[in-house]
Amino acid sequence: MTEKYGIIASFPDTPSFFHAAEKVRDAGYKNWDTYSSFPVHGMPEAQGQARSKVPIFTFLGGITGFTVGLLMVWWMNAYDYPLIVRGQPFFSPVFPFPIMYELTILLAAFGTLGGMFITNLLPQHYNPLFNSDQFLEVSGDRLVIAIEARDAQYDVDATRQFLEEIGGTDIEEVTA
Amino acid sequence: MSSDTTNSRGKQVGLIALAVGIVGIVIALFGFKQGWDTGEVRPIMSWLVALGFWLSIAIGMLFLVQIWYVFHARWPTIIRRQCEHFMAAFPYLLVLFLPLLAIPFLHENPGLLWKWMDGHNELPGHGTVAEDPLYAWKSPFLNIPFFGIRAIGIFAVFIGVATLLRKWSFDTDTTGDINNTHKARRLSSLGLFLTAIAMTLGSIDWFKSLEYHWFSTMYGVWFFSACIRAALASIIILTVILACKGYLKGILKQAHRYDIACMMLAFTVFWAYISFSQYFLIYSANIPEETFWYNIREKNFDGALNSWWWVSMGLIFGHFLTPFLLLLWYKTKIVVWRTVGVSFWILGFHLLDLYWNIIPGKLVAPDHGAGYLVRQFSVSIYDLAALVGIGGICIFAMCRSMKKAEPIPIRDPNILKSINYTE
Repeated sequence: MTEKYGIIASFPDTPSFFHAAEKVRDAGYKNWDTYSSFPVHGMPEAQGQARSKVPIFTFLGGITGFTVGLLMVWWMNAYDYPLIVRGQPFFSPVFPFPIMYELTILLAAFGTLGGMFITNLLPQHYNPLFNSDQFLEVSGDRLVIAIEARDAQYDVDATRQFLEEIGGTDIEEVTA
Repeated sequence: MSSDTTNSRGKQVGLIALAVGIVGIVIALFGFKQGWDTGEVRPIMSWLVALGFWLSIAIGMLFLVQIWYVFHARWPTIIRRQCEHFMAAFPYLLVLFLPLLAIPFLHENPGLLWKWMDGHNELPGHGTVAEDPLYAWKSPFLNIPFFGIRAIGIFAVFIGVATLLRKWSFDTDTTGDINNTHKARRLSSLGLFLTAIAMTLGSIDWFKSLEYHWFSTMYGVWFFSACIRAALASIIILTVILACKGYLKGILKQAHRYDIACMMLAFTVFWAYISFSQYFLIYSANIPEETFWYNIREKNFDGALNSWWWVSMGLIFGHFLTPFLLLLWYKTKIVVWRTVGVSFWILGFHLLDLYWNIIPGKLVAPDHGAGYLVRQFSVSIYDLAALVGIGGICIFAMCRSMKKAEPIPIRDPNILKSINYTE
């Protein structure tokens, strides 16, 4: 007994692919995705996706870097080993600025990279979709919509019929 | 029909702007005349600040148009035309600069505004300009004839480049000649250098030389960043008005606004980077010839914090931190009223930035001793009059130009890319 991952359907051209995605969105499916070898403009909106959460990770990384830079310079210059340089104060918000600023950028970049991995659920070494020979053709010219079995609305027959109605061909059930 | 009503409305706006502009200029010139007669320089500085404000917007647009040409940018084609209209203000700005240029040539004290122009002018603490070794070293550059030649040269560059770019762009509307685009692109690659040099010299001559002891290699770049920020904010306001009430309705898209707002974010950071670098280098070097410039923007001679300290803090938090944090949010860049709000905010603080750079000065102490006074922050009716007056003339020039050409460059090779632009 093999577990089902979901159903995939192919679409003949980009417009029908795009409009089919809109129909899947409007039908209320949540766990599904579109696959193509090239970006289709407006597809995130057609899929009803919210904006990426990555900027939040970037912002938190940046704030962390800024604070760490500030504290680091304060700890080194004013607390751990106070040193008079050019007759300037042990600590001021002015001279640590390059360090605060560099660390802001560095940790913001780390935050972006990490956030991208987290929100994309990476690293992911196995995806059941690759069990389908048809799906492998997505890296060529195939346009595929996959509806996953874990979706609350998923029903083998109804979903298959729905995909047929919106113009899908080569409909195939994929095993996990 | 609809284009006729838009046209007549544009004409009305232009005439109103002209009327308001003339009233403002008359009031501001009254102040200017008082300053001229009494030797009290503050109302003349109102004129300089206001001129700097409107000039910076026009210079910023001149830069952006050339950068767009050089990089073959397709998306801003519809915005480029609005900038070209505003660039019609340059000749008017030259005329409005003439009262300032008259001071060194016609006034009995040529150093009324720029004090190095008269050797008899007393310096706070030590002697006169003529006895000042620092002035002696700088005099091959800072002398009145060369100042006048530079001023004419600077405006010649602005007006020349702007006129040619406008001419070729407008000509494409009727002829559809691709050579116009090629010519504009070739001119822009040279023009960017010319504009950069002219703008740097202008900021040094008109703003930095007010305190000629001071020097900073960052000053030209500071003015560049200020110009671009002012131009981007003005572009948002102008295009949104045109999209609501005028001919850009249905043409200006979210994607255009979003990209301009992204550039606003980038140049907010750039302005802060440049302004801070200038401060940081001077702070680190700690040489009195340089640090005094920041000292008078923080403290009086007796060490007490003065009005400029508050302005300085206002610039850090209001001109950088607030727009920076606001513009980080995606919503700020796409929701119209938020983008427009931030644009007005930036323009307001850009004006404050110019105040902060132009108005403070070291004045001779009443007892002519070692100390000095600092010209404090103030806002006068002449500031407002000059700002509204010069602005009115600029808007009149823009509306006048709008009647001459199509609302968008209809036969530009990139026009479709711009109209169909998406994020």
